Amino acid sequence: MSKTLLEAHDLHLSFRGVKALVGVSFSVSEGDLFAVIGPNGAGKTSLLNVLSGLYRPQQGRVVFLGEDLAGQSPQQRVRKGLGRTFQNLELFRGMTVLDNVKLGAELAVGGYTDLVPKAQIEWKIRHHAEEVLDYLHLSPYRHVPAGALPYGLQKRVEVARALAGRPKLLLLDEPMAGLSLEEKQDLARFLLDARREWGVTLVLVEHDLRAVLELSTGVLVMSYGEVLYQGAPAGVRENPRVAEAYLGRSA
Amino acid sequence: MYRLSQTLTDAFSRRFSRTVREDYRQDEAYASTPQGRFWLAVAIVGVLALPLLLPPYPLFVTTQILIAALAGLGLHLLVGGAGQISLGQAAFVGVGAYVSSHLTGDLAPLGILAGGLVAALIGIVLGIPSLRIKGVYLAIATLAFQLLADYVFKRWTGFTGGVAGRTLPAEATFLGLPLADDRVVFYLGLAFAIPMFFYAKRLLSTRAGRAWFAVRDNDLSAQLSGVDLVRSKLTAFALSAFYGGIAGGILMHLIGAVTPENFVLAFSIQYLAIVIVGGAGTVLGAVLGALFIVLIPEILSVMAGAFGPQYVAQLSAWRSVAFGVLILLFLILEPRGLVGLWGRIRDYFRTWPLPY
Repeated sequence: MSKTLLEAHDLHLSFRGVKALVGVSFSVSEGDLFAVIGPNGAGKTSLLNVLSGLYRPQQGRVVFLGEDLAGQSPQQRVRKGLGRTFQNLELFRGMTVLDNVKLGAELAVGGYTDLVPKAQIEWKIRHHAEEVLDYLHLSPYRHVPAGALPYGLQKRVEVARALAGRPKLLLLDEPMAGLSLEEKQDLARFLLDARREWGVTLVLVEHDLRAVLELSTGVLVMSYGEVLYQGAPAGVRENPRVAEAYLGRSA
Repeated sequence: MYRLSQTLTDAFSRRFSRTVREDYRQDEAYASTPQGRFWLAVAIVGVLALPLLLPPYPLFVTTQILIAALAGLGLHLLVGGAGQISLGQAAFVGVGAYVSSHLTGDLAPLGILAGGLVAALIGIVLGIPSLRIKGVYLAIATLAFQLLADYVFKRWTGFTGGVAGRTLPAEATFLGLPLADDRVVFYLGLAFAIPMFFYAKRLLSTRAGRAWFAVRDNDLSAQLSGVDLVRSKLTAFALSAFYGGIAGGILMHLIGAVTPENFVLAFSIQYLAIVIVGGAGTVLGAVLGALFIVLIPEILSVMAGAFGPQYVAQLSAWRSVAFGVLILLFLILEPRGLVGLWGRIRDYFRTWPLPY
């Protein structure tokens, strides 16, 4: 049994009357590829936002590496190794691909806004960034402004930026939404490789049920903020509550 | 014939184009080619030799360009770098000028430095609203600061000399050289400006610069890439004010006096114009922008003078109009600013005899 990396205990989050999360609990072990699925409005993105510290839950705790994250800012959480990508691209559009990835790589090399530039650290960052670019086949685009790339590549740059920081756990919000089949396959392969190579644990929010069931080691199914199912991917299709949420009630 | 043209093209591209960069180190260097290094050296030597070549008035204008470039560069770090707008740059120039007016003579460099540091401290304070407000609202907050500073400059007579301002004693010397001599002031300014230009360039291409660009492009995402927003914004404000303050100290020595009308809102807008006309993204932009903004009015007034002395008064009004029209045309025809234009000219000459 590998050790538990991330735990959520009884998370509650509501916006005025709308209950986004109702007592969500789960845990992710080291090396997992944990998928969160559910219909639109199920609270998947809200869950990620709570985990990465953008929303503050009204109740419940998030424990990462055995430490309660309550009260920690998003950037503190990122620096502890809790990476994040977004559903709608949130790249630095005016910066080159290389600079985007370098910015991510600084997390792995350490330190920040340094008013005394140090060549040694810069080389380290550069090499680190180039390694990730190479890995995700982005090297030819390194000097292109990120905003000028096609959508599929931008998605890949976002994953590259997050991976360059060598997170222990990476929260991916619908990385495959809007991609073509080939791009999906590429990205899935990159993610699996990253998991194997760098030991990154992945938490994936996804709509594509088939991709999820093929890739993941554990699944959390949500609907209207509640957990419908948690367990092995094989059990998802058999679960009556999931079938009801996804396919509608049978007559 | 085809062979000949190919050989020629090859020879030219080897000579004039950027050579293929073979490793990351070359890719990140300032001037990656021998030609680049050569022209950089020529430019620096040329600037150093300027006082020996230029008559007094053109040298005065050149020093003004230097000062405007420095203040503009500071604003550029803030506006083009961190994406925070400020209408208060002239106030920082003023702070630097007033502080350095109290510490001059042999201590002039120290006074200028002190002016920069005091401006930086005030810059941090001004940066605090930027943590909560953005865009136009921030512009209004900095506008309020500009107007407040203007008021303080006029009223705090003990420190600033009020509306009359403070005058540098005519006999003041720096290490035996008279500070009333523009050549001395030019070299004094250059001693600050050259390191500061290189520092800014380095800063923008390393981690501090990346953090600023990240804040500019997408602050949510910057946060989730581990950028400390507070620190990033405040350092941008502090540095921008520091550059302004240093520029102010040099300006004080150039004019030989400080009066509040050198630091009014119009100058803040002029510095913003330098950033915009110069083109966002590079240090070169600030220099070219300053060149344009300071030099064009001078050229226009020389042109007005050429028609004969009796027209000068009439034409001086048209001078401002022509200046405004030029800026407008610029923004419409070359949105990337002078830097973009420069890049196009350079590309043209790089492939000059055989463009394809």
